[in-house]
Amino acid sequence: LRALALGQGDFRLLDQAGRWRRKADFRGQWVLLYFGFTHCPDICPEELGKLSRAVALLEREPGLPPVQPLFITVDPERDDAAALGRYLQDFHPRLLGLTGSPEEVRAAGSAYRVYASAGPKDEDGDYIVDHTVLIYLLGPDGLFLDYYGRSKTDAQIAQSVRRHMETYEPLLD
Amino acid sequence: VVKMSAPTMEERKACWGARDEFWRCLDRHADDDSKCEKLRLSFESRCPQQWVKYFDKRRDFLKYKRKLETEGYHPPEAAGKS
Repeated sequence: LRALALGQGDFRLLDQAGRWRRKADFRGQWVLLYFGFTHCPDICPEELGKLSRAVALLEREPGLPPVQPLFITVDPERDDAAALGRYLQDFHPRLLGLTGSPEEVRAAGSAYRVYASAGPKDEDGDYIVDHTVLIYLLGPDGLFLDYYGRSKTDAQIAQSVRRHMETYEPLLD
Repeated sequence: VVKMSAPTMEERKACWGARDEFWRCLDRHADDDSKCEKLRLSFESRCPQQWVKYFDKRRDFLKYKRKLETEGYHPPEAAGKS
């Protein structure tokens, strides 16, 4: 992980309230990050629900630092700030959504080796974006510490995050 | 060009419910979809077209997976490609 140091570099993206957020703004915070899109048939709502529940479980434990839930779109063409606002209100109240230009969004995704590929448009212009389905844990130095796939439950994620918090040592000097 | 809004949580749940009813019908009738036309139409009316295609593929994949698990893998015959 040290050699990989995934998640370096910066990004400048817009949140659902229309504020610019840089990667550095999240320094010092634990983050659970998910890449998805609002027109997603089922996987994204399920994973965001799970992510929200994992954060809620961690909130109930005294003495742990807060975890920032974060969503970055892989469909910036359709997912503007307003679309994110509508979509994310159904999940954790602190869930922050980020969007931007296709270039900025692609750069943010590639820093975490995220794969995203928009499928063909139908006659309504609708399409599905095929993408990596993972929840990423970022430590306070902004680097990727762990990832959780579809099979991990909210409790398993919360337990893993707690363990990382207890044993955390910064990866980069 | 007006961007289509993504389905709301309520709309998603209505779509998933219609899909599940349709799939349960198919399960009851060994995938004979002529027996489930009404539920098929309900599913198509409650879900975006892209999602109908996506869930149809998912159903095919789940059937194929079940077949592999029960019957084992039989490589398809080479269709003239070398």
